[in-house]
Formats: sequence, C-alpha cells, structure tokens
Amino acid sequence: MKRTIAFALVAALIATPAASQSGDAKADLTKLKPKDFPTGPIEYTVVYPAGGGMDVTARLLAKHVEKWSGDKIVVNNRTGGAGMVGHSYLATQAKPDGYTVGVLANLMWGDAMLRAQGRWVYTDLEPIGYLNSDPLSWVGPTEGPYKDLTVKQIVQAAKDKPNTVRAATVPGSMWDYILDQVEANTGAKFLRVPFQGGGAGINALAGGNVDIAQGFYSEFRGLAEAGKVRPIGVAASERMTFMKDAPTINEALGGNEYQWIIIRFAVVPKGTPADRKAYLGATVQAAMKDPDLIAEYQKAGVYFDPKLTDASRMEANLKDYAEREREFYVKTGRLK
Amino acid sequence: MEAFSGLLTGFSVILTPENLYLCFLGSLIGTLVGVLPGVGPLAALALLLPITFTMSPVGGMVMLSSIFYGAMYGGSTTSILLNIPGEAASVVTCIDGHEMAKQGRAGAALGIAAIGSFVAGTLGVIVMTFFAPAIAAVAIRFGPPENFALMVLGVVCTLFMISGSPVKGVLMMALGFLVAAVGIDVVNGRERFTFGSVNLSAGVELLAVVIGLFGLTEVLSNVERLAKSSVVTDRIRNLWPSLADWHASWRPMLRGSGLGFLLGLVPGGGPVTASFMSYALEKRLSDQPERFGKGAVEGVAGPESANNAAVAGSLIPVLSLGIPGNPVTALLLGALVIQGIQPGPLFMTQRPDLFWGIVASMYVGNVFLLLLNLPLVGLWAQLLRVPYRVLFPIVLLLSVVGTYSANKNVFDLWVMLGFGIAGYVLNKLEYDLAPFVIAFVLAPLLEQSLRQSLAMSPDGAMIFAQRPGTALMLVASAVLVVLMFRRRRKNTGGNS
Repeated sequence: MKRTIAFALVAALIATPAASQSGDAKADLTKLKPKDFPTGPIEYTVVYPAGGGMDVTARLLAKHVEKWSGDKIVVNNRTGGAGMVGHSYLATQAKPDGYTVGVLANLMWGDAMLRAQGRWVYTDLEPIGYLNSDPLSWVGPTEGPYKDLTVKQIVQAAKDKPNTVRAATVPGSMWDYILDQVEANTGAKFLRVPFQGGGAGINALAGGNVDIAQGFYSEFRGLAEAGKVRPIGVAASERMTFMKDAPTINEALGGNEYQWIIIRFAVVPKGTPADRKAYLGATVQAAMKDPDLIAEYQKAGVYFDPKLTDASRMEANLKDYAEREREFYVKTGRLK
Repeated sequence: MEAFSGLLTGFSVILTPENLYLCFLGSLIGTLVGVLPGVGPLAALALLLPITFTMSPVGGMVMLSSIFYGAMYGGSTTSILLNIPGEAASVVTCIDGHEMAKQGRAGAALGIAAIGSFVAGTLGVIVMTFFAPAIAAVAIRFGPPENFALMVLGVVCTLFMISGSPVKGVLMMALGFLVAAVGIDVVNGRERFTFGSVNLSAGVELLAVVIGLFGLTEVLSNVERLAKSSVVTDRIRNLWPSLADWHASWRPMLRGSGLGFLLGLVPGGGPVTASFMSYALEKRLSDQPERFGKGAVEGVAGPESANNAAVAGSLIPVLSLGIPGNPVTALLLGALVIQGIQPGPLFMTQRPDLFWGIVASMYVGNVFLLLLNLPLVGLWAQLLRVPYRVLFPIVLLLSVVGTYSANKNVFDLWVMLGFGIAGYVLNKLEYDLAPFVIAFVLAPLLEQSLRQSLAMSPDGAMIFAQRPGTALMLVASAVLVVLMFRRRRKNTGGNS
C-alpha cells in the first residue's frame, strides 16, 4: 500500500513537467544534434554481466533513449574482474568519438583509486547523465536467534560475543567498508563470510547459512515479501519510501558516515567532442524525464538523489562524492 | 493435484499460436547457438533480450528459456563432428563423441546425444512440475560446506577419468587448479598471479581454453597428417544408433539426468559441471573403463543428458525463489525484472500463468527440439565427407569468432592460441587434456566454498563434521579414494 502511494506521488510529480516538455524534448534534441552524428549505432558499455541490476538499468535507459532520440543503441556487456576490465576499456581503449557510452556506477571510483595503478583516473570518464541511486541495506533473518533483533541489537551481540555473528560480505567493496566502519566505531567483531555478490549473501541468509546479509532492494524484495528475510537498516541519509520500517543505519547506530550507495550514471571517455557529448547527455536527460522510465526504475527500489537530478550541478556533486570516497580510503590506509 | 491443475493452466497459456511460435523459434535459435562454437546461450540471450521487451512476459520467457535448453541439444554437434565444443557444457562430449565420428559412427553419437537430451529434458520438467517448491526449500539450505563436499566428490570422481598414466593425469589436474587460480582472490578481493595485467585480472576465460585445447589442437594434429583428406574416408556406417548403442546408453541417460538435475540446483553449478561429473561417473561405473576415450557411447549419452537436466534443475531456484545459480539464469531473472516482474518465493502463487506457462513450454520445447534435431543427424554426418583442406579453415574461423564473441576481448584469442599449441604438444606427449579442463572448471567453486566454510565457522574445519550432509559426502569421497588405490594396487600386483 505504502509503495503504491509513494509511487503514485512520484509519478504525479514527474508527470506534470514531463507532459509540458514531451513536445519540446524531441525538438530540443534535434537542435542539439551534431551534423553527421550518429551515423551508426551507439554502444552502451555495461561492465557487469547481462541480467544484473546495472545491466537492467542500462537496457531500460537504452530503450527510452531510442524512443526519444530515434538513434539506435546497442548494449554491450564487457565483463570480468568485477568491473575492472570494462572500466579500464572505457578509460584507456574506447575511442572518444561519441559512439561509446559507459553506463556504470560509482564503483568505478574505487577501481580507479585502488586498482588502476595509475593507468587511468576516474576523471578520464566524464559524466553525461545521472540515472539513479540504490542504497545498500542490511537484511536480517526471520528465524533463529537473531530473528527479531534490530541493527543496534545485532551489533551489540557482535560486540558481546565477538566472531559469532556471521555477516555476508563482498570482499574489497562497500559491503566490507561499512562493516569496517561499524567495527571501528562500536567495537563489534563480525565473522565475515565472503560472497561474489550481494545476491549470493542474501540467499545464504534465507538458507540460514549467515546471520545478516547486505544487499540492494531489488535483490531481497522477493524473499522479503515472502517473509524469508527482513530489511533492518539502510545505509543512506534518509529512510526509503518503499521500506519505511527500516531505519537508516545512521539512525540506528548514531552517526552520519554510514552511507553506502550505488550511484548509477552514464559517462563518455575523456576527449569526446563537446557537441557529441552535449547531445548524448541531452538524450539521456530526455529519457530520464520520461515517466515510464522513472516508473520502471522505481520498481527496482531505487531513489533519485536531488543533488544529482539537477543537471547543472550533477558533475560537480558527483565529483564531491568521489572525493569523499577518496578521503575514506586515505583515512583507512587503503590509499596513500 | 495442484501440479495437475497448474499444468492445465500452463498449457492453456502456452497453446496459443503466438506462444507456440515463440517456443519453436527459441528452440531453433537455441539449436543454432549450440551448434556454433563459442556463441553460447549466455551471449545469445544477452543479444536477444531487447527483442523480448515488446513481447508478453510469458512469450519472452518461453523464448529465452527454450534458447537455453535448445543450446544443450545443439552443443554436441560440433563436439562430435569436429572436436570443437559447441559450448562449454559439451566439452566432455568431444572425448568419445569425436572418437565415434572418426570410426564412422557420427550418426549414432548425434542420435544418442539428441535422444539423451530429450529424455533428460523431459524428466527434468516432470520433476519440476511436481516437486519445484519442495526442492527449492531444500536447495536454499545448501550452504558453503555442502557445496565444498560436493565439489570434493566431483574431484575424486575425476580421478577415475584419468586414462593412461596416473602420474600424468594428476599432473594435468594440478595444472588445471593452478591456471584457475589466476584472477581475483574470492576472499580478499585482491588480484593474484595476474602479473599486473588487466586482462588476467578476470582470470583465464574457460571458453578460450576449451576451444584452444580441443578445436585448435584438433586442427593442428590433423594438418600434420594432411595425407588424410577428410575426417572420415571410409563409408559412414550406422547412421542411427544400433541396438547395442541403446542397450549401453539408457542407464547413463537416466543417471546423467539425475546427476545433472541435482547439480543444476547447486549455486555455481549448472550444465558445465554436470556434464563433466556425469562423464567421470560413467567411466567409474563402467565394466570396461578402458573403452572411454576410444568411442564409448556412454561417454556421450551421460554428459549430454546431464547438461539438459541441469538446465531444468537450475530453473527451479530462479522460478521458485528468485535466486539465480549461474549467469544464464541470472539473465533470465533480469529479463523478468525488465518486464516488471520480481520472482521470489511468492512467484508461483502470484503469477501462476507465468510459472506454469514456462513449465508447460518446456514439455513442448523438448518435443520441438527432438523433431528438429533428429532429421539433422544424417545431414550433419555427411559434413564429415568434406575434404579437410576445406573444413579446417572453417573450423579455425569458427574457433576465432566463437572465442572473441564471448567477451569481445582480443586477449582471449591469444589465450586460445596458446592453449591450442599447448594442447598439441601435450597430446604428442600423451598427456590427457580432460583432467586439466575439469580441474579448471571445478577449482573456483571448490576454493570459494572451502574458504567460505572456514570463514563462517567459529571452530575451523570442524564445520565439515558438524553438518550431516557434508560429513556424509566427505566420507563417501574418502571411501572412493581408498577403493581406487586398492584396485590399482591389485591391478599392478597382478601384473608384476
């Protein structure tokens, strides 16, 4: 019920400006369209496997960009190395001719700062459009000794009896970082069980093989609706409209640093001609004004960060987030 | 009873001209995808995903899933005819299937593969129809320790696969583990053995390895004997499986179906692991294990059944829990999500039309595939008459295109070339390639589940004894190893 209301509200909010703009949007795009571009299909590179959250985001975007611009879009998955192969390709190999667009997430920053070994930096990929934000949530069990516990109680349990609470994590990523923060601030100690992705950890939770897991709404929604797992906290600055009962982890533990959010956006390689970059950005922004696309994204349980939906501030604010991430790495000794 | 009414719902959904057409189209594309080396079901599904946006959810899912199991039918074709695996789940079919083809029995091998696929596919759907929710409830309990024990059992079975020198076989397995270790460490997320190369940070691509080891090696070996003008010079005998073939095949088909179904359920498992384990099992159970590698029909019947059953098995966690166990099922899940449907434990009750529609379409699809594939057997077998000087450039082209299409990474072509040359040399030195490949396939799962088990256990390795299922499988593995050593000692003792 709650979700329906939130959904209707957002749809209404977005529908009003879109209705008046839909006529202009196509005209605006035609105005911005460079001569002789594009003459062939534009390739959206996704650095994660087909079928995952990032891939679905990109394909939905492609569908709506095609609708608004009339250009042909091909989605291509360049996978491997947990995104590293695709990120490196976009930053160092892809031709900056406007035919390559990367549809990726802020996980690219971590790759650039910690793993690229100076071969490329995150500013080699220039943002052209913001898509959505997806916060990491903590998910608890619905049976066993931890079934009714809140985030605070579980952390307390991990402090009272260190190395007994089994927490699913994905090594070397935000799943690990938030556990680092919680452990450093509270003195708790979790037994960390490594998985290849958030979904695998959630499944282990539903099977009783771990005691808490972390993941994105789209990954645990099905199991949560069936009562097999329950969201207990969200690593964002505010509660999500579609799971109002889950407090933010900042609320639960008293802090302001527990914010781990996947931010999805589109980029072009540095050096892409300015007119083509502007046009590609405009096509993405036109699609993002389409209430159909917004509704599709909403279904996956994402939200839209007001700091980034404003196209004029998007690039600066993204940079701000990236620099905050760098500070975290420096503070924790991951980056010198 | 619920299953029957469900199935009725399913057939009422599926028996429309549009859905039947999509099921047929998917079967046809699946067969083609299977036949073409390198273009696996994953690549095909990713390419065709956008087309399904405009279809109804049922139609889209019916087409995508029929491509998945259709590929298992077609996969054996090039394995048998050209010694190039059509896709990864048919690697093991090369070993005896191609040997059969060289003996002029390609038709028999192709026929058995198609029929085995049909038997396993249909049995898999029947089990799915009646037990999907119950199986899903058990499957989700399967944790890292259970996975580890299962993989150990798999490795032990592989020991039985070794033909010829046991030392050389174990050496090849060790090499497989070693090459599989390249890439990102599953526990700490750091790169290892990559020598700073971005290309190696993803690990060594399985498809490039197997196309190199089997396809390229075959070409090199054949070119050397250019005197031979085609794969089969003499008459192609027995276009159809003989009575003896049937007799030898029906048990492996049933065993392969069971094994494949179970391995499909396991996270990280699926058709590839299933086909290898089935081959090892058949060789273990055979009265004449020495026939394996020399054209034993059981070595085709078992694995080709297993990979189809694994498809049905792997669909259960996706459709009844929303949990994908391998990349292809993850993509199917993605396709549903794009349609605005989130499968989970409530999927069956909330969208019975979709769940049962997909199940019903699998009955229909398997029949389509049998009807599509059997008449092709004769045609494919004639391909072997093509002179080798015409055939081998085509094989090379297919190998290159197939390898490249998986990741669109040129580096993979070098990997393929490297493994092709290595395979040629190792063949000359009489090293068996199969143990290498299976160790390579099993290693990541084995390592991950072992390290996860140890990480989640407060009492270290005791976790394996504390869980009954795990303990049972580990004891069984130990017994098998002891048995093998005793038999080997008896054999060598008798000889000397």
